[in-house]
Amino acid sequence: MSKGITLKKVATEAKLLLIGIPLFLWTIIPVYHLFLFSISERDSATSGRLWPKDPTLQNFNFVFHQKHFYLDHFWLQMWNSVVIAVAVAAITLFVATSAAFAISRLKVRGGRTVLNLALFTYFIPAAFLAVPMYKTMGNYGLLNNQWALILAMVTIASPYCIWVLKQASDKLPWELDEAARIDGATPLQLFRLVYLPLMVPSLVAVGTYALLLAWNEYLYAFLLLSNDKSVTLSVALGNFLSADDSPWELLMTTGLIYALPPAAIYYAFKRYMVGGLTAGAVKS
Amino acid sequence: MASVSFRNVQKTYGGKVKVLHGISFDISDGEFVVLVGPSGCGKSTLLRMLAGLEDITGGEIAIDDKVVNDLESKDRDIAMVFQSYALYPHMTVRENMGFSLRLRKADAKLTAERVDNAARILNLGPLLDRHPRELSGGQRQRVAMGRAIVRDPKVFLFDEPLSNLDAKLRVAMRAEIKALHQRLKTTTVYVTHDQIEAMTMADRIVVMHDGIIEQIGTPLDLFDEPGNLFVAQFIGSPAMNVLPGIVERESGGAMSVLAQGQRWPILGTTPATPGQKVHYGIRPGDMTLADHGVRAEVVVVEPTGAETELLLKVSPEHDAENLVMVMHGRTQAQPGDVVHLAIDVAKTHVFDSHSGQRLG
Repeated sequence: MSKGITLKKVATEAKLLLIGIPLFLWTIIPVYHLFLFSISERDSATSGRLWPKDPTLQNFNFVFHQKHFYLDHFWLQMWNSVVIAVAVAAITLFVATSAAFAISRLKVRGGRTVLNLALFTYFIPAAFLAVPMYKTMGNYGLLNNQWALILAMVTIASPYCIWVLKQASDKLPWELDEAARIDGATPLQLFRLVYLPLMVPSLVAVGTYALLLAWNEYLYAFLLLSNDKSVTLSVALGNFLSADDSPWELLMTTGLIYALPPAAIYYAFKRYMVGGLTAGAVKS
Repeated sequence: MASVSFRNVQKTYGGKVKVLHGISFDISDGEFVVLVGPSGCGKSTLLRMLAGLEDITGGEIAIDDKVVNDLESKDRDIAMVFQSYALYPHMTVRENMGFSLRLRKADAKLTAERVDNAARILNLGPLLDRHPRELSGGQRQRVAMGRAIVRDPKVFLFDEPLSNLDAKLRVAMRAEIKALHQRLKTTTVYVTHDQIEAMTMADRIVVMHDGIIEQIGTPLDLFDEPGNLFVAQFIGSPAMNVLPGIVERESGGAMSVLAQGQRWPILGTTPATPGQKVHYGIRPGDMTLADHGVRAEVVVVEPTGAETELLLKVSPEHDAENLVMVMHGRTQAQPGDVVHLAIDVAKTHVFDSHSGQRLG
């Protein structure tokens, strides 16, 4: 009897491994490649070896001390990325939370329409909107201003965030609002003292989503920002390829560094991400 | 403390669905009134209108003679206990109870004093720093009551507060709420679908059905003299036996109802005419086993210790219409035995079959 169960377990495990191993390799090989480049010297970077002959941290030294033409503004660009990502996350959270609260809890008129319009924005790929967005920002005189990118990314991130937060809000029991109203709470107090504290898991998830979306954005950053000192690191990485003879090992090293903060954030908030983004996905 | 008046209160949803058809009654200062009725009768809606959580479509609600129709909940000076407790999950018991005072920017010392006082009344002292998720159902309900007490409101509102508790706890909390009312003497409106809760707790019961008031009265008034068939069958457990029949006047002048092929005695003063179609009502406890009387066959015997419940078949010709009887003590009767029932004529009820209203 117990042997049967064991066999069954082994079979299940084997099936999982059969799917898991290819998936793991699929994901890890490019990352490993990135890593390999970053610890290899320039000449040996493309040697095709699984582990470099003389691993070195010299590339990191180059990047951190901005010792290359392409890396002149590395720290500044990194800072730009951070500022823009954080700003996008903060503004998106503000917009989406307010909208979700108004639609879900205050039941404002037209809330349903706003939600449908929000969904509608995703029928059009963001790339199609790049040129109109460029023109709009031009009209406002915001080109080459970081606000242009921040506002553009907030625009792109908000609809989804509103949806997720609206669904999560709907799950909070109504009686809490009613109890708070009887206790004497104004809508703003309800928002601040009852709604926000209970929405924290979803807010973390949505905030992280907006942060990572902005951090990883290339197209809009490339279009809306042009000055070397105002671009984000993602654009700077793209610029590496403008030469015939690109310093691959430095590009990969910078790329690796660039990928670390999102990974760290993701791991820090993993438990919110899974719960938060699927919250309200199914009716319970 | 305060009085509450409902004056022709109506509620319509979406301009079409009418759920309350003009409710009028008064609650006096310090009274414990229970709104009871089957689900969908409008009792919770009425309570929520009093609380300010639902708009009032027509009529007036007044607290202490002041019309509150257009007042916000928070300005009505009421406190409400919800079925789901509605405790703020992220706050401790202490914070939950002090929340209303915090919103009013009350002095911290006063808040602490009031919270401690409420905690003492409800034995919540050791739980003050816990979160609601760390409490049992009964404890949560007590916190919800504590939150209401801290407010020191004019009126307490309870919306089926015991429905989420298990049977044993429900009985205990019932007594606790009643004791609390006797101690605080705050006007209380309590909604429940459980007629036992209504009977045991209320000073007065308002029986509602389909958006109207069927009857208002003290628990025993409703039990002894139900005004109509609905109240008769709703109040009391086990429910009143009701048999459709026809009024007859016997040779001696005595009156009876012919139902299930047998004669059931009624008071001679009953304002009914011979031949009138009526429903005859007799409570299970108002019959005794006797040597002669209504003939019945025992179907099931259910001893509960102090009492015995008998399920009887009064009419062998008809297969339906079983009669329930409750007797004190025990009986030797076995299923299949034929027994005779002596009926306490003073405690019989007669209702007009057409209108359902009580006769006499």
